[in-house]
Amino acid sequence: MPVPDFSPGEVLTAAAMDSIGLWLVKTQTVGTTVSSVTVTGAFSADYDNYLITYNGIAGSANTVLRLTLGSTSSQYYYGFIYQSLGSATINGLQGQNQASWFYAVPSTTNETAGSIELWNPFLTKRTSVRSNHTEFVTTGAVGQFVGYLNNTTSYTAFTLTPNAGTITNGTIRVYGYRN
Amino acid sequence: MSKPNIQIDDLVREMTDEEYADLLATGWTLEGTDETPSDS
Repeated sequence: MPVPDFSPGEVLTAAAMDSIGLWLVKTQTVGTTVSSVTVTGAFSADYDNYLITYNGIAGSANTVLRLTLGSTSSQYYYGFIYQSLGSATINGLQGQNQASWFYAVPSTTNETAGSIELWNPFLTKRTSVRSNHTEFVTTGAVGQFVGYLNNTTSYTAFTLTPNAGTITNGTIRVYGYRN
Repeated sequence: MSKPNIQIDDLVREMTDEEYADLLATGWTLEGTDETPSDS
């Protein structure tokens, strides 16, 4: 049974299903002109590590979506390496003990798409994060965001909050990497 | 002036006074200038 090329009517064994590495946990549609969106039930004991994708989120302003876990508003550490389109210069920003992972997700008036990876959010261990930051702006920034949350709290939810204005539309999907 | 909406899963509602105060305390404004890092 070549995975993942199953045949119609084929009996799927536990071994075949267990070999699937990525499982959809949740799909969340973003509403209209909201100042934040919280996705609950995203993390659980089922998975240690997660992939979050977002598509079609349109901001009322060109800004960022602050990423936070649970109700935690401190101890976010990060580095952000980026290049502004039209410039050859590589820039860096960093944050220590911040209130969010500030640059993890861009928000522009053009609909934004990208992904976030999280390791350990449900475990009582420090959580690390990596995301691609791609602004859909001709002179916008593109770069890689990495960081960690310096506590050992277990989380089940995350929130995206525009630093200014509101967001409308789009889909957020949460996937779990099979342990 | 009405307060902005907050979304928790599929529920979208207007923020409470306390939630709005907390949001403003973070520096949030309704009308943002271009705050993308390319302007940093």
